Amino acid sequence: MKKLSLVQIKANEKVRILEILGGSNLECKLLSMGVYKGKHVVKLSHIGLRGPVVIKAGRTILALGHGVAEKIIVERE
Amino acid sequence: MIKKIYLIGNPNVGKSVVFSRLTGVQVISSNYPGTTVEIAKGYLSLDNQKIEVVDLPGAYSLDPSSAAEEVAVSLLKELPKEEIAVINIVDSTNLERNLLLTLQLIEHGFPVVVCMNMCDDAGHRGVHIDFVKLEDLLKVPVIPTCALTGVGIKLLTERIKEAVSAPNERITHQARWVEIGKIIEKVQYLEHRHHTFREIMEDASVRPVTGLLMAGAIIYAAFKIVRFIGEGIINHITDPVFINIYQPLLEKLSSRWQEKSFWFHLLIGDLIDGRIDFKQSLGVLTTAPYIELGMVLPYVVSFYFILSLLEDIGYLPRLAVLLDNLLHRLGLHGYAVIPVLLGFGCNVPGILSTRVLESKRERFIAATIISIGVPCVPLQAMIFGLLGKFGGFYVSGVYLVLFSLVIILGIILNRLLSGYSPEFLLEIPPYRFPPLFMLWKKLYFRIKGFLIEAMPVVLLGVLFINILLYFKLFDFVTSIFAPIVNGLFGLPKEAVVALAIGFLRKDVAVGMLMPLGLSPNQLFIGATLLAISFPCVATFVVLAKELGFKGLIKSTSIMLGISVIVGALLHFTILR
Repeated sequence: MKKLSLVQIKANEKVRILEILGGSNLECKLLSMGVYKGKHVVKLSHIGLRGPVVIKAGRTILALGHGVAEKIIVERE
Repeated sequence: MIKKIYLIGNPNVGKSVVFSRLTGVQVISSNYPGTTVEIAKGYLSLDNQKIEVVDLPGAYSLDPSSAAEEVAVSLLKELPKEEIAVINIVDSTNLERNLLLTLQLIEHGFPVVVCMNMCDDAGHRGVHIDFVKLEDLLKVPVIPTCALTGVGIKLLTERIKEAVSAPNERITHQARWVEIGKIIEKVQYLEHRHHTFREIMEDASVRPVTGLLMAGAIIYAAFKIVRFIGEGIINHITDPVFINIYQPLLEKLSSRWQEKSFWFHLLIGDLIDGRIDFKQSLGVLTTAPYIELGMVLPYVVSFYFILSLLEDIGYLPRLAVLLDNLLHRLGLHGYAVIPVLLGFGCNVPGILSTRVLESKRERFIAATIISIGVPCVPLQAMIFGLLGKFGGFYVSGVYLVLFSLVIILGIILNRLLSGYSPEFLLEIPPYRFPPLFMLWKKLYFRIKGFLIEAMPVVLLGVLFINILLYFKLFDFVTSIFAPIVNGLFGLPKEAVVALAIGFLRKDVAVGMLMPLGLSPNQLFIGATLLAISFPCVATFVVLAKELGFKGLIKSTSIMLGISVIVGALLHFTILR
C-alpha cells in the first residue's frame, strides 16, 4: 500500500491514518481532537497554493494548516 | 461542601451560554472556538448559598497543549477536589469527540456532572442519544439541556450536588478512544439521512472555488448592509431627532446666554452663520453628542448587528480557512481573522482576542496590524460622514491605503521578527441558527458597552479641549508641531490639535477636522493619518497589557514611523 500525506490525496477521498509525523506535541494535540493512528477521515477540501486542508473525522470538521497536513500520513482504503 | 463550580468543555460547546443561564451574568458567546478569552465569574444560589461559578476557556483535554487549556487546568487544581463541582459541558451533536475530556475528568477524580448541551440541535441532525444508558456507563449524572432556550438548566442545578469524586485508573488517550468507541456504540443512534441544504452549504463554504465566491458575496453584502442600516438610522431617526427636536430646543435655551462667553464657548461652541451647526460648533452639548449619537452610534448598531449574525451562524472560521494562505505570508494564520474582524468594531476587543493566537510573535504582529491598519467603527463612521460626500473614491482610498499598509507591514514583520508562527489547526463548527432574541441580547450588550465607554470620554474630552482652546493653551503645542504637520503632511496648523486628540478618541479627532475647511485631499490625508497613527488611549492600555512594556514601545515606534512616512508620501503624491 502506498503511503501518502493528506496533502497528496484528492478531495472527497476516504483514508485511514497511518502515522503522524512532527513530534509528540502535534500528535498529542490531534489525538485530543480525535485524529489519531487508525482513524478514518475524509478529506473535504484543499485550498490551493499551500493553503489549509479541511478534513472530517467522525463528526468533527477540522482545518489543518498545510504544514500539519503534510505530516499526516495516510493510506487509501 | 461545594465552594466553587467550574464549567469546562471542548471549545464552542456553549459553555458561556450555560454560564449566563446559571448566573444571570451576560457574557459574549459566538459560534466559533475561543470566544472566552477572559475567565468569567458569577454566582449561583444553591440551597440558599451563593456559590462562585467559573467559566473556563475551552479545552480538548486535560493535558495542556494551548495557553487557554493551561489556564483551565491550573484553575481546576486551585481547590481540593472535595470543595468543587465540575460541570462538563458536552456538545450532543458531537458526543464522541467530547467524551475524551469527560473520561479524563472522571479518571482524575473530579466530581463531575455532565451537561449534554444542544440537545435540540442533535435531534435535528439525526443524532439520538440514550442519556440514561450514558449515565449508567459513566457513573456520573448526565443531564440533557438546551442552554439557548433554558431547557434542562433547572435540573442541572438540582443535580450538581450529586457530583462525587470517583477516580479511575489512568489510561492513555489511545485506550480512551477505544473505550469511547464502545460507549458510543451503546448510547448513540445515528439516523441515516441525506445531506441537508445546511450541510451542503457547510461544505461549499470551505471548498476553494465555491468558498471564495461565497466569501466575496458575503463580505460585499455585509458591507452594503452595514452602510444601508447605518445610513437608514441616520437619515430616518437620529438626524431628524437632532435637527427637528434637539436643535430648536438648544437654540431657545442658549439664546439667553451671551455668545463668545466662557460657558457658551464650552457648551454650545461657535455659531455658524448665527445657528448651531452640529458638525462644526464643537460644543459639549452640540458636536459632542452629535458625533457619538448621531454619526457613530448608527454604524455601531449596524456593524455589530452584522458581525453578531455572522458570528452566531458560524461563518467566521470558514473565512479563516480561506484566508489562511494570505495571512500566512504575514506571519499569522487563518484564525487571525477573528481578532481583525473584532478590531473593525473596536480595537480593544480585537487586541484582547489576539489571545486566540498561540505564539507571542503572532500576537505582536496581529496587535500591531490591528492598531495601524484596522480602523474602528467610530472612526469609519466619521470617515464616511466626512469624506462620503466627496464620493466613494476618497473613502475607498482610505481603505486601500490601510489594506496595503497591513500587507506590507505584515510581510516585513514576518521577515524581521525572530521565531516562527505555528500552523493553523482549527475546528470548523457547523452552521447554527440561534434564536433572534440571542442576537438582540448580544447587540444590546455590545451597544451598551460602547455607550458606557465612549460617552463620558467624549463629553469630558470635548469639555477639556474647549477649555484649552478658550485659554489658547494649544497654541504652544501647535506652534511646535506646525512645521511637521504643515511641511510634511500639507495640513494647516490647526490640524495639530485634531491629531493630538486622536489619542483620546479617533471619532472626536475626525470631528475636529470638520470645521477647518480642508480640501477633500487634505481631509483624506488627515483621516488616513488618524487611522494609522497613535492608537487611542483605551487601545494603548490593552496594548500595554497584552504586549508588555517592550512590545508596546516597539509597536508604538512602528506606528509613529509609518504615520510620518505615509503622511509625507500622500502629501507629496496627491497634494503637489
